[in-house]
Amino acid sequence: MNSLERVLAALQNRSSDRPALLLNAGLYGARLTGAALKDHYRDPEVFAEGQIAVREAFQPDLLVSPFALAGLGAAFGSRLSESSRRPPNVAAFAADSAEAALRLPLPDVDSHPQVGYLRDSIRILAKRYAGEVPVIGLLASPLDLPPLIIGLEAWFDALLFQPETARALLDHLTPFFVALGRAMLHDGATALALTANLANRSILPAPVVERLGRPSLEQALAEIPGPVILHHGGCPLLPHLADFKGLPNTVGYVVDAGEDLAAARAALGPGPLLLGNLPGPTLGDLSPEDIGALCDRALSRRAADLQFILATCGADIPLDTPADRLEAIADRVHRAGRVEA
Amino acid sequence: MDRNFPQELLETIQKADRAGAQAVIDAWAVGRPFHRVIPELLSPTLETFGRLWASGKDGVSLAEGYVAAKVAEDVLSRVLLDASGDGTPRPSSKGPVLVGNVEDDFHPLGRKMVAAFLRADGWEVHDLGVDVGPAQFVDRAEETGARVIGASAMMFTTAKNVAKLREEIDRRGLGNRVQLAVGGAVFKLRPELVAAFGGDGTAASALEASALFARLARRASEARGEVPA
Repeated sequence: MNSLERVLAALQNRSSDRPALLLNAGLYGARLTGAALKDHYRDPEVFAEGQIAVREAFQPDLLVSPFALAGLGAAFGSRLSESSRRPPNVAAFAADSAEAALRLPLPDVDSHPQVGYLRDSIRILAKRYAGEVPVIGLLASPLDLPPLIIGLEAWFDALLFQPETARALLDHLTPFFVALGRAMLHDGATALALTANLANRSILPAPVVERLGRPSLEQALAEIPGPVILHHGGCPLLPHLADFKGLPNTVGYVVDAGEDLAAARAALGPGPLLLGNLPGPTLGDLSPEDIGALCDRALSRRAADLQFILATCGADIPLDTPADRLEAIADRVHRAGRVEA
Repeated sequence: MDRNFPQELLETIQKADRAGAQAVIDAWAVGRPFHRVIPELLSPTLETFGRLWASGKDGVSLAEGYVAAKVAEDVLSRVLLDASGDGTPRPSSKGPVLVGNVEDDFHPLGRKMVAAFLRADGWEVHDLGVDVGPAQFVDRAEETGARVIGASAMMFTTAKNVAKLREEIDRRGLGNRVQLAVGGAVFKLRPELVAAFGGDGTAASALEASALFARLARRASEARGEVPA
């Protein structure tokens, strides 16, 4: 069984030889290739080489496009800060308010270099691993785009104090999100994975989530002609799964590190993929034995769950994570058996 | 029946209703000197809100904390405006402190909220902004006489730069005399990193920063021989 078959089996709630594995190791590829991050996050060939190296080293069953959401802000005119240790961040925003952002033109997904970098990364990986390994296109939901364009503070101001302007900005940005999502699928992404932090009740008050967050997410996802995986994005997801359950085209949920997988499955019910719950950003602080124990616990508790995928959560696995930590994960999942349905 | 103004103000914050908060404050101020608004209305309200926030119960969102900070800023601006115009006493200062995001960190929201709550509670806050290098932090601490530096970092990767700030404080022989408060999402998730990266303390929420700074400022004063240990 190859990785694509394994992941498709999970999607279709069928038995497979073992659970699939997702590593959020877009950044980590640069460690394996030795590429400078300024090249890794600009040149799709260099990024793809990193994912190929990750695949060869740890055999994850899904590969990812760059988890470099700040680049989407840059496509609107935000200025990036580059680093030798982490993906780019937004250092200065394209506009200072939601009102000002309404006047920004939408980047052309077919010609903008920042978007082209993301898309080309997918194209290269999809071509190389066609029929063998799924490639996940990473992007931000329309709700999570404004923090990259105007900053979180200005976006809070709009969402909380100027809801009509916030609504207008979401209407303005949704076509870009839809065009990019469709383009990524066209380029060969098997599925999209996106964050929706600004629809999470740990970030926004419940009335705003209900009035604006969930409806705008629903509207945007309905226009994506392919499978979507919702990523917790650094927020707790388990207590809020009811808000996200049943969204259009949404086939899976990545919960936060340590969140109770059984409780998450109970909240979701059968049907969607459940991904988690390893702490990607802090793997380096744990011993390989501790990581093995975490994997064993997750795998044994979800042994009968054919739609469980072992995954690292949170942001990218940091560059200085020793390789034996990832080897420990790979070893455990590759040795894991599967209970037949 | 007497109105329960702190409760009313708390409810407007929880509804993210900044204008409603202003209306409650205006109603409270009828027949009262406005400079008493901080100790008599704002502080008790924020203390209750802070307890709810830190407990993680009752679904307090980050945005509600943001609204609380905005309300605190609104109140403080008005108090200062009154003080500049009619001789009403200015709030007494608890002393200078610094806040900033560590080198390579560009997530300002938490830091700004901390700054707002510190100012509302009487601290003279010097906000250094984002991406502040260790030398810049310590230079400013020496210039201003700040006894506490508040360093903010959101991600694990940038939190490591707190250790560089610790080294710079110690390298200049200011250990204990300048205390290092740290905050940000990563420290909330992993409190053990506070000590691991050389922090002297952290707070469960932005609202509890003032109490933390008070403890640390006292510790710094003791190290300087300014108060009995």
